Parts: sequence; structure tokens; C-alpha cells
Amino acid sequence: MTIISAPAGSGKTSLLRAWAGRPGQPHRLALVQVQRDQRDAQQFWLALLDAIRHATGVNGGAELPAVTPDFNGHAMADRVLSKLADAPGGVTLVIDDLHELRSPEAPSQLTQLLTSLPPHVHAILTTRHDVRLRLHRLRLAGELAEIRAADLRFSERETRELLDASGIALSAAGAALLHQRTEGWAAGLRLAALSLAGHPDAERFVAEFSGSDRTVAEYLIAEMLERQPPDVLDLLLRTSLLDRVNGELADLLTGRPGSERILLTLEDANAFVESLDPGRTWFRYHHLFADLLRLEVRRTLPAEIPALHRRAAGWFIRHGQVAEAIRHTQAAGDWLDAARLLADHSFSLTLDGQAQTMQALLRAFPRGEDHPELALVRAMGDLAQGRLDEAAAHLAVAETYAKTPPPGRQRRLRVAVAALKLSLARRRGHLVGVMEQARFLASPVTGPSDEDIALGSDLRAVALMNLGTAEAWSLGLPEAERHLREGAVLAREIGRPYLEVGCLAQLGFASIFHGAAMPKIDAFATTQRRCREAIALAERYGWGTEPVIAPALMTLAGTMVWLGEFDEGERWLRRTERALQTDTGPDIRLLLHQTAGMLHAGRGRHPEALQEFGAAEHLASQLEGSQALANQVTGWLIATQARLGRPGEARAVLAALDDGRASSGEIRNAVAVICLADGDPGGALGAVQSVLDGTAPVLGYVTVVEADLLAGLAHRALGDQRAASQAAERALALAESDRLVLPFAMTGSAALLEALPRHQAAHAALLADLLDVLHGSSPAAKEQSSLPPAEELSPGELRVLRYLPTNLSRPEIASELSVSLNTVSTHLRSIYAKLQVRDRSSAVQRARELRLLGARRTP
Amino acid sequence: MQGHLPAFDHGVMDPAPAPYMIRINGHLGATLLSAFPALAPRHDGAHTVLTGMLDCSALYGVLAEIEALGLDLLEIQKLTPDRKSPEPGGRCSP
Repeated sequence: MTIISAPAGSGKTSLLRAWAGRPGQPHRLALVQVQRDQRDAQQFWLALLDAIRHATGVNGGAELPAVTPDFNGHAMADRVLSKLADAPGGVTLVIDDLHELRSPEAPSQLTQLLTSLPPHVHAILTTRHDVRLRLHRLRLAGELAEIRAADLRFSERETRELLDASGIALSAAGAALLHQRTEGWAAGLRLAALSLAGHPDAERFVAEFSGSDRTVAEYLIAEMLERQPPDVLDLLLRTSLLDRVNGELADLLTGRPGSERILLTLEDANAFVESLDPGRTWFRYHHLFADLLRLEVRRTLPAEIPALHRRAAGWFIRHGQVAEAIRHTQAAGDWLDAARLLADHSFSLTLDGQAQTMQALLRAFPRGEDHPELALVRAMGDLAQGRLDEAAAHLAVAETYAKTPPPGRQRRLRVAVAALKLSLARRRGHLVGVMEQARFLASPVTGPSDEDIALGSDLRAVALMNLGTAEAWSLGLPEAERHLREGAVLAREIGRPYLEVGCLAQLGFASIFHGAAMPKIDAFATTQRRCREAIALAERYGWGTEPVIAPALMTLAGTMVWLGEFDEGERWLRRTERALQTDTGPDIRLLLHQTAGMLHAGRGRHPEALQEFGAAEHLASQLEGSQALANQVTGWLIATQARLGRPGEARAVLAALDDGRASSGEIRNAVAVICLADGDPGGALGAVQSVLDGTAPVLGYVTVVEADLLAGLAHRALGDQRAASQAAERALALAESDRLVLPFAMTGSAALLEALPRHQAAHAALLADLLDVLHGSSPAAKEQSSLPPAEELSPGELRVLRYLPTNLSRPEIASELSVSLNTVSTHLRSIYAKLQVRDRSSAVQRARELRLLGARRTP
Repeated sequence: MQGHLPAFDHGVMDPAPAPYMIRINGHLGATLLSAFPALAPRHDGAHTVLTGMLDCSALYGVLAEIEALGLDLLEIQKLTPDRKSPEPGGRCSP
């Protein structure tokens, strides 16, 4: 790995280009230039991934991941690493202008990448100043080369060679003088060469330059500009206000045609202009050159600057470059327009993965130019960062303003405020009240012009997703299904895959329960199909393990568990956990714990189930107001406590419930479990009575199946085998259409089912399946079949294993454990063999799946 | 910017502007001087000396300009009203 760290104009990029362009390069080159003032790491990483893809041709056909508001930089670093690991032959990764990467998260993500590069990959970074990458390990290992300003300075001999190569005839004394005056500074020499080429008296030029006390760059740029024709000079000055320019934009700013030809000529003359694309349509100026030009234009054309920025802003907004348009509107001093643009595009910018850019634009407003519409943008940033109280405060400001806005803006502001309020309410689990206020979101935004409607589409799709999601979580079907479906269709129409995936993922979740006491035909199969479709779409955009798809992953895992496919369910659950690494919303975490609890309970591991249900209950208590799954969570928590012989705890939880919740079907079932555990089967029958006669509200028919089985167990305990069998038959009849297994496993109904006359039963096939699962899922059998490697790893290997998820190298692990490097290597080989993996990252993943990394298991 | 300015997190910095002297190699012309409107320039031999009242973020803004313009920074001093000498460990240092 090589770092080139030197000030502006030292020739870093030129050195790189010259090096990359030399013939016989054995390495493939993946080059990324960091955009000026890059705040959002995602754009940098996507550019890096794209460069690697082009350089290596690996997965040439696969789509690049699309931008997502949920960007996970560390996962992306892993993805880049695996792409590099797969690349055949050597790869050189070049990151130019690293100092422009201003995302606060980027340094640690980049450190992760750079410290674990495969041996056949070489990285070269250029930067104006040292950046805070933790590379000391590479430095100590002698794997880091550094090129600094002193190394880049031209020697006197090199200065003469440069002049010769540029066809400039200068005496040895003149060359020495030039070298002395520029101190070998590359930009200075290059500027001097530009002015000297074709100069009538090169010696005099150098003598005058040498006699001047002005700074090198200012003197030489003034010289160079003086020699340009007026139209070229005018173009350079006016377009210096842009970070990048094309012919059309330059024509617009100069008011003259023919700019593209001038730009091409300047690039060919090596005059600090470079094209950014192979087709040579976009150009940028060398940073140092552009900065000096900008100072010059402010000095010489100050009155025209606002108009130039306004023209540029207009062009960028017409071409969908919102952030640049806002930047120029701000530079023009049109703060009100800038505030409206920012507020109007805040949803789009967030969806485009430019949340940090948006916050930087927000900070650029001066104190006196704050505007109430900006409160909306602030609220969005707060929400993204999980600062819910601040978000609520900013939303209140925006809401007050939205009541008396200027003409034509009320509808849009109201929709934006409502969409954010729903999102906030969902994060807090407080949906009652907000839902009613938000119903109006379902009708389309109608603006005065087509453009307004198009601008509002992002907002409307977000609003539909938030509304449908909120409805799904509070069991507001069928509106949830309708709104999510509508949101998905709109999102597809306007090309917002993130929203389409988000709507479809929530739709998968929305369809699993419907509050009905009878099964719908194929409800589980439909749910699974919807989830798989949503997941397939997410995978197409590279979001297969992103938070946006988590509801579908989780719902799929849940249906697997309901159907008794415990191993498959566990695999989907692990993937859901990975997808939720960056999302801490209490609602989705609650579901994660609940599904894990279901899995354990289905396998008969009640202590583990209790832990998960307890965690879910804790999260449910943090959510305000009604919550769809709360009764099921609490019911199962109580039932599991009772099954583990802790009826006291179970009764305490029960006693804390209000009457409304206590009379729900899920809680009545839990009371029955307590009664059964207490040896009071009569009490159990009384408890489930209201569930069986349909008077207790239920989450879904699964609750009724459970009640039938508990009744069957109670009859059996009372010695009434006939009634027990009838109850079991009723449960089987209900469970038949979905082939539901979990309630039988959770209630421990194996003996109840075995007592049924198998050949006479109406549901023989389901019964046979059920008995297979129930016998296969005894705790002892499962413990062994799912965790064999845990028993095989030695204590020493487990100690090494614990360090694999860290960034520590093998020698560092050895020193941490006070053992030799050899020992660590031996353990590693053995761990890979036992876990049947080939590298460190898959070992970590496998170890996580097998739960080998938890503190309990490592000595 | 916070990534570059760890000192901002500690709340120990003096928010009030203080007099600073910044010495740059070479004579800055009108174009370059326009990058430092808050500072008064004077020539001192072959150097340019810029002085003015700066708070911490203004100071870092000036340093960023110096870097962006490729200027050769020779010296930077915080001047105290009582003694015109450098104050070691100035409070803007991270």
C-alpha cells in the first residue's frame, strides 16, 4: 500500500497518471477520484465498486447495488473485499483526492478495507493532508510506502528534462533559476512551461519571474491568463464557479456558443483542464487553478456572480442535479428559493443516499436566513439519526408553519409533515391518533402543474409506504394492503426501487395475520410467495441483507417456523439479523425476538424461548399505545414462564394487564397454560372458553388452534379422552389448510396427537407430518444436530475464534493471547476445517450461525 | 468538518476571537488577498504577514484556504494583548 501525501499542486495526480499509463503494467487498475467535498460515503463506495468491476471484469453482468438511504458502509467494505478477493491476477486500487472525503464514517470503513486487502491487491491513496486512517499496523509490518512533498519536488536535472520534453529552449542558468524560484514545485513548473512554450524571450521571462516577490502560482497564472484570447479568459473566469462544466453549461454562462471546442483545446494544451469521461463531455479544472480563478472572478466581475450562479442553478435543476442546484442558489444569495428547493427535494435527496449532503446544505444557511420550511429538513435528519425528540420539536415548527403557508405550498407541506409524523410515530410505536390525521395521505397530491405532481411523487410514495406500514403494524387491514400495493406501483412508475422494495417487504408482513378466526385459503403460501418476490427484487438491487427488506425476511422466517420448518426458519432469521445490524427501531427488533422465541419454543427449548420473549416484551413496553403483536408476545411470555415452573412470575405479568388486554384470545390461552401447570385443568377449560366460542378478539386463527389444543390437554388431564380427541381434531381441521405445525409443538401436544386413532383421522397426512416434527424436535436431539462443531472446537481454538470478527491480524491475535504466531495459525487452520469454510469472513459468519461467538461459550 | 476538529467536542475552547498573525512565503497579490478579507496584509521582506481577529472556526477556514491555494505557510501565532509573543499550546489546538 502506498500513500502520496503532499500539498496542492505537488503533482500527485500527474504522477499517478504517468505511472498508470506506462507500458507493460502487470496490474489491472481501479481508479476512483473522490468528488469535491464528498459528504456521503455511499457515492464514494459505489464509485469504488464500479471501478473494481470495470478493472477486473468480475461479475461483469451483475448490476451495481443501487443507492439506498440505509447505506451500511462496513458491509460495503466487506463486499468490496470479497470482489477483490475473487479478482484474478493483481489489482491496483487507486483513490485520488482522499482529503475530499468528508463523511465522518468513511475513515473507519476505509481502514477496514485497507487493513484486510488480499495479497494480490495494491492500494495507492493520494491526499493533500494526512487523513486519520489507522494504518500503523501496516506501517509497522513494512507494508506501507509513503511519498511526501519532498519526494515529489523536481530536482534541477528533472526541471531541465521537463523543459526539454516541452520543447522549451532555456539556458542552463535559466533552468537553474526557474528551479530555484519554483523550488521544484510541480504546478509552478507546469505553469511556467505553459507560458514559456512559444514565448519570444524565454530567458527574460524567467529573469522577471525570478525577480518578483509574488507567490509562484499567482504570478504564473496571471501570466498565463494574460496570454489567453479574451473569449477563453472569459470562459475560464465564468465557469470557474462550477465544480464541473460541459459545453452546454459553459455556453449558458458565457452567452456564446463554441465553448466545448475551447475546453477540448485547453485540455489538449495540458492547461489545467481535464475531461472527466471517456467521451470528453464533462471537464473540471485543476483544484488549485479553479480556486485562483474563482478569486479572480470575484474581484473582476463581482456584479455578475449572482446571475451566473442563478443560471447554473437553473441548468442543474432542469437536469435533475438537485444538490448542485441548491448549492448555486445559495451562492447566488437567494436564500428563500434555496430553502424551498431543499424542503421540496428533501425526500428525494434522502432516497438518493445524500442525507449528509443535505445536512451540509442545511448548515450553509446563515443565521439570519433560517426559514420555517427548513425545520422539515432538520426533522428528517434527526429521524435518520434516531434523535426522536429533536425530530418531534422540528416537526412541530414545520407543522405550525404549514397552517399558514404562502399560496400553493400548503398541500405539499401538509403531506410532508404527515409522512414524517407517521414515520416518527412508527419509530415510537405510537400509532393511535396519528393514523387518523394521516388518512388524507391516501388521496393524490394535485399541484397546479405537471412538474409539481412529478416532484410530489417521491413524497406521495413515501407517504403511502409509511401509512401502509403503520396500518400493517396496527392490524389496519385491508387498508394496509391497498396502500402498500398502491405505493409499490407508484414507486415502480417513478423509478424508486427503494420504495417499491420497502412497500413490498411490508406487504409481506401485512398479509400474515388478518384478525380472522378462520384460515384464509393458502394465507401462508401467499405470504411466503410475496416475501420471496420482495426479496428477489431487493437482491436485484443489491439489498438482499439491508434493513429495507428485513420485514419480508423476518416474515418468511416466521412462516417457516409456523410451518415447522425450523432449520430453514433459522437460516432466514440469521439473515434478518444481519439485515438489521444498522436499524435499531424497536418495532422490528421486537419481531426479531418474538420470531427467535417462536423458533426455540417450537424446538422445545423453553429457557431460550423465555429469554427471547422477555426481550420482546421489554421492547413492547417501550412502544406507546396499541401494538399489533403485543398480546401474542405477552401471552407467550406468560405461557413459557408457566411451562418452566414459574407460575408466580407468570401471574405477576398477568396481573399487570388491563381488562382489555386480559380478555384477548392470546392472554386467555396463557391463563389456560398457567392452570394446566397448576394442575387445574377445569380452570384451563374455563379460560379458553371465550376463545373457542369466538367472543374473545384474536390476532388470527392460530390463536384458536392453540386454544383447541390447550382444551384437548385439559380434557386429557381430566381423563376425558373422547373430548380430548375431539379438540385435537378441531385443531387439525383448522391447521390443515396452511399445514400449521408450531402450535402443536409449542403446547407440547405430541401425546394428545398420538392418542388419536391414526388411520381413522380425517387429517392423517398432516398428523403423520406433525408427529415426525414433534419427535424430531425434542430438545436433546436438536441440541446435538444443530451444534456439532461447538463440541469439536478445542478451548484454544474457541479463544482464537473470538478474535476473528475484529480487525486484528494473526500476529496481533497471537500477542493478545500470549501465544506464538504458529499456534494461532495452527488453530486457524483447524477452525476453518471444522467449520468447513475457507476464509476468515465465512468462518465468522458460520460461527455466528452456530452461536459460537457468544460470551457464554468462549472460556 | 467535525471529523477534522476533535477539539470541538470538548467544550474547552475559547469562543471569543483572538488576534492572530499568519506568515506566508511570497507576496500575495490582489487576487490571493481577496481570499482573506478579514485579515490585514503587509509585506515583510519576501513574506506576506496577515493579521486579524479570528475565532477558532475562522482560523480553520483561513488554514483551509491556505491549503487549497497551495500557499507556503511559514508561521502562525496567537498574539496576546499584554505580551506580543506566541502562546504555547493555544486553545485551538486539538
